[in-house]
Amino acid sequence: MDKIVVENLKYKYPLTDKLVLNDISFKIEKGQFIGIIGQNGAGKSTLCQAITGLVPLFFKGAYGGRVLVDGIEVAKSNISDISLKVGMVFQNPFTQVTGSKLTVYEEVAFGLENIGLNREEMKNRIDEALNLLGIYRFKDRNPFDLSGGQMQRLAIAGIIAMQPDVIILDEPTSQLDPQGSEEVFKAVWDLKKRGITIIMVEHKMEKIAEYSDKVLLMHDGKVIDFDTPEKIFSRDDLMQYGVIEPAYTRICKAFDIKDSGLYPVTLDRACEMVVKYNEHN
Amino acid sequence: MKSLSLYQERDSIIHEIEPINKLLYILTTILIMIIVPSIKCAVLCMIISLMLLLKANVIKKVLPIINFSFIILISIIIIQGLFNINNKTVLFNIGKIKFYKEGMMYSALIVIRVINILCAFALLVLTTKPSDLIEDLVRRGLSPKIGYVLSSVLQIIPQMTSTMGTIMDAQRSRGLETEGKLINRIKAFFPLIGPVVMNSLIATRERAMALEIRAFSSKNKKTFLNETKSTKLDSSLKYIFIAAVILSIIWRAAIWTK
Ligand SMILES: Nc1ncnc2c1ncn2[C@@H]1O[C@H](COP(=O)(O)OP(=O)(O)O)[C@@H](O)[C@H]1O
Ligand SMILES: [Mg+2]
Repeated sequence: MDKIVVENLKYKYPLTDKLVLNDISFKIEKGQFIGIIGQNGAGKSTLCQAITGLVPLFFKGAYGGRVLVDGIEVAKSNISDISLKVGMVFQNPFTQVTGSKLTVYEEVAFGLENIGLNREEMKNRIDEALNLLGIYRFKDRNPFDLSGGQMQRLAIAGIIAMQPDVIILDEPTSQLDPQGSEEVFKAVWDLKKRGITIIMVEHKMEKIAEYSDKVLLMHDGKVIDFDTPEKIFSRDDLMQYGVIEPAYTRICKAFDIKDSGLYPVTLDRACEMVVKYNEHN
Repeated sequence: MKSLSLYQERDSIIHEIEPINKLLYILTTILIMIIVPSIKCAVLCMIISLMLLLKANVIKKVLPIINFSFIILISIIIIQGLFNINNKTVLFNIGKIKFYKEGMMYSALIVIRVINILCAFALLVLTTKPSDLIEDLVRRGLSPKIGYVLSSVLQIIPQMTSTMGTIMDAQRSRGLETEGKLINRIKAFFPLIGPVVMNSLIATRERAMALEIRAFSSKNKKTFLNETKSTKLDSSLKYIFIAAVILSIIWRAAIWTK
């Protein structure tokens, strides 16, 4: 069964005139890694918030169409029920620290206390989440004393502990230094390997190409394309949507190195094809 | 990490007592002083508070708190000593200025009461983490939302002031004068408002969303990671407080019927 179904989704913020989401439809299967790309203002964040139900519950505005998670209509459910199925990580690690907890360990407990989990189960889940994100050794630190990358991993740990099947990450590394970004990408990849469905908005196209099963290309509130990274990055009109393909793809495009009409999008695949290309010429 | 808190980490039995009991202690102290308005009673309360502060090993930290109100206390003594309407007996004089016994006694009572209340509060704030106090209150029925606001304010305000510092540095590096003459500081303040306000508005909205995603509005009954460490002492303290209040009422009634 499809994990997430978006049907003819339309949405307009209370203060904007045009549709920020303009008739969007797509389906995501369980366990897939979906990359969302598009230039600033394309509506990526709004779409993410619509999948969790923050839009329209949090922002009101005009809303049409449906978002279904496990067949349940998000806009008609309670957000705290949806949060058990779909977790979300935002750009700024700092705003995701609740600010009401004094230690990393307690910080992860925040959501679990809210859903009324018993203490034993709570501790098990916190230990597991902190270990998974590699921040167990900071468990007694104040959350505000972590580095950006550590703080963002803490935010993910707080979400993981709720055991959602789907995690949405909206530009989780845009405010981090390269090292912090790597830490987060590695953590996200570990989650994918555990069978969690991942939706990630990201501007680092190399990462999108490497990780994604499918890529959703958005522009001006519309879905332009939803396909494999090879198909998406082989398009010749990407510039028009403010997207630049991964460097390997760009080089292969320049030399017209392709295989059945598709350019490579990862380093390994590009090397392979360059070697083959050399042998032929 | 800076936090708005006067908490002093010590190993004492007072630190172990439930926060709610320390709140009740403040309440009991105030009640007793209202019911029994004698200076002896106030002194007795003060001695008890000071002994408890000593036991908690935080007595040194009380002085700054009392110092804080020192000027007000001194002015009460001077004004009452000079001008209380009941003033009759001269206690002493400095040159031509006469200090009267009645006013001095009256102000002594006020001063001891203020110090009493300060000491009782100090016992709470010096030996209790604010977050523990708030969590204790939430367990006893305070709305978790109010609890959240109270505890997050303590941490997020120091964070916001450091954001302000960062923005100020950024603007200084672009050549804005933020120091020196008052007019410079005022001029520097306005370009600061924009980024700081925008920053905190956006941050607040994002934080609110992040909280919702973590089931902040869940209708389930909340549970707590930390166990309550309610001891026998904690439950007996509540009876002791009630007994103290009842005793003082009886004492007061006895005086009246005489
Ligand atoms: N809270 C809001 N109120 C009004 N308009 C908004 C709000 N958030 C975003 N928008 C507008 O909606 C459009 C899409 O924004 P967004 O979903 O944030 O795009 P992206 O994440 O792709 O950059 C933009 O034109 C933006 O200005
Ligand atoms: Mg965005």
